[in-house]
Amino acid sequence: MSFEERFERWGRRVFARNKVLSDKFGLTGKELGRTTDLFMATNMGKVGTAIILVFVFIALAALIVYPDKPAVTGAPFEEPSFEHPFGTDYIGRDLFVRIMQGTQPSLIVGFAAMAISMVLGTLVGLASGYWGGWKDEVIMRINDVFLSIPWLVLMLVLASVLQAQTLGTVILVIGVTGWSTTARIVRSQVLTLRTRQFVERARAIGSGDWHIIRRHVFPNVVPLIFANAILTVAIAILSESTLSYLKMGPKNVETWGKILEEASRYNTQLIGPYSYILIPGIFIVIIVLGFTFVGYAMDEVLNPKLRRR
Amino acid sequence: MAKSFRVILTKRVFNAVVTILLIMALNFALFRLLPGDPAVLMMNRSIHESDYAYWRNVEIMGLNDTYAEQFVKYYIMTFTGDWGISYQHERNVTDVLSEAILWTVLLMSVSMTFMFLVGIALGKLAARRRGKATDLTITGFGIFFYGMPVFWFAIVLMVVFVGWFHLLPAKGYMTDGVPLQPITASKIWDILVHMTLPAVALAVGSVAGVVLLMRNSLIDVLTEDYIITAYAKGLNERQVMRKHAGPNARLPIVTTIAMDTAFIFGGVFQIEVVFSYKGIGWYTMEAIWNQDYPVLQFIFFIGGVAVVIANLIADLVLVKLDPRVQIT
Repeated sequence: MSFEERFERWGRRVFARNKVLSDKFGLTGKELGRTTDLFMATNMGKVGTAIILVFVFIALAALIVYPDKPAVTGAPFEEPSFEHPFGTDYIGRDLFVRIMQGTQPSLIVGFAAMAISMVLGTLVGLASGYWGGWKDEVIMRINDVFLSIPWLVLMLVLASVLQAQTLGTVILVIGVTGWSTTARIVRSQVLTLRTRQFVERARAIGSGDWHIIRRHVFPNVVPLIFANAILTVAIAILSESTLSYLKMGPKNVETWGKILEEASRYNTQLIGPYSYILIPGIFIVIIVLGFTFVGYAMDEVLNPKLRRR
Repeated sequence: MAKSFRVILTKRVFNAVVTILLIMALNFALFRLLPGDPAVLMMNRSIHESDYAYWRNVEIMGLNDTYAEQFVKYYIMTFTGDWGISYQHERNVTDVLSEAILWTVLLMSVSMTFMFLVGIALGKLAARRRGKATDLTITGFGIFFYGMPVFWFAIVLMVVFVGWFHLLPAKGYMTDGVPLQPITASKIWDILVHMTLPAVALAVGSVAGVVLLMRNSLIDVLTEDYIITAYAKGLNERQVMRKHAGPNARLPIVTTIAMDTAFIFGGVFQIEVVFSYKGIGWYTMEAIWNQDYPVLQFIFFIGGVAVVIANLIADLVLVKLDPRVQIT
């Protein structure tokens, strides 16, 4: 059964007693389902979704199977073996366990930082695009500042300002530095929407600004933000690993970037075991790839110009 | 109404100046918020530690002034080229970093040239063979490298070329302990050999963005009606590409070159840390780890200004390339 039919049926079931609401939810479901069908028809969409689901599964499984901190179970710097599939770290803890446990913080950082960036970016973009005039100018200049300062430097300085590097502060730093692209995208979309007839009509019949933004502008911006949001998750995960590698990542959780930092501190890239430094990186690449695939597939589905004819 | 080039120029330059002033304000504010007492940090590195030294530092750095006074002073000092003294090296920040900047610019220009030439060519190829095996391979690799942390790719290169095959040096921009002057042929060779891995890592690590962008913008253009018209009137593919599709597809690339400077800066930083290549990025990390704030402040400022200027140039090139900009 296609998602179109499935979602429609689910939508109708929500308010089965009320005809009007049932129709409304059914239609919404149908539309969502049609997009999902298109999305799942792309290879990237399929593979990306599969990758993300696998990692979500790993994160949950790690919580159940390895609830405790990894103990020292072998000699330091062991090569991969049957007992330790990924080898051991610098004090002899099993790397397989550590990497499995590192999945959860990566996903948390990715989604939480994305949420912050999206909320900030959308608000700023809506405000500056809708207001226009000098307010737009002021907001855009501030946006320019954030776009101009090399992201890594800004992130590192912010991380130093916040001092204690916990998962929360790192999320905050990544979220606060990542909103400017979203703001740009939203703004340019709002600029074109503002002059469209349906917005002018709404204004003509006396709708207020807030109403127009909420009911007419925002819904048309959402599809654009959606693809952008998924890509932002990928970038946030990358940023976390980079920060961790540069010793500015979260101190209270074990992340893949932190394992990479350790591995390179002990020069394993030159003297081995190479698995110590290669495997965490492969995990980062695959998870980022998953989100990038989904982001691109969404872009292709939601942006009709890229859709194959 | 078409605006004249001069009007646009004035507006863009004005915007750039405002942005730079705002970057300085942010710079000022952020560095008051950083942990640690500057007067103490400055003292930690010198031998004579005393109350006298502390208060002298406070006096020198003007820490007793009100924030407003410090703010004004900061602007004056920045514009007169007084960038402060590194806590750690106890020399002028500009002295510490002048050589590093050159090394970073060298590394960046080599890999960026490579990146754009290869990136644009591959992107074009992929767009032309859209949906075929070539396209899928190129796009696949593009997305793969797009999602790879640059520092990790650099590490992989290091594992392969240094760890396994011992082909290339792993550290620095030239062999340790050799003075740069006078420059000889063997030293230039040495520098090139040392630069190979970092430059390749940087170029390949960031080429993906250009490839994907070029592909998408070209596809965007190729689905326009006027391209069909061009084919319909009998032009062949090369003519269409050169005269009709090329000029429009090139526009986003120009913007990206500028935007990417900020992004590539991030890449350079990571790569310099991995290879201990003592450019700006390496000094940034050293400054962060050792709380050497004047150095950090300078890099923050200079990085921002570089990107603003790159964007300004790109904007002006865009005005020349795209007549539509003058209308809107």
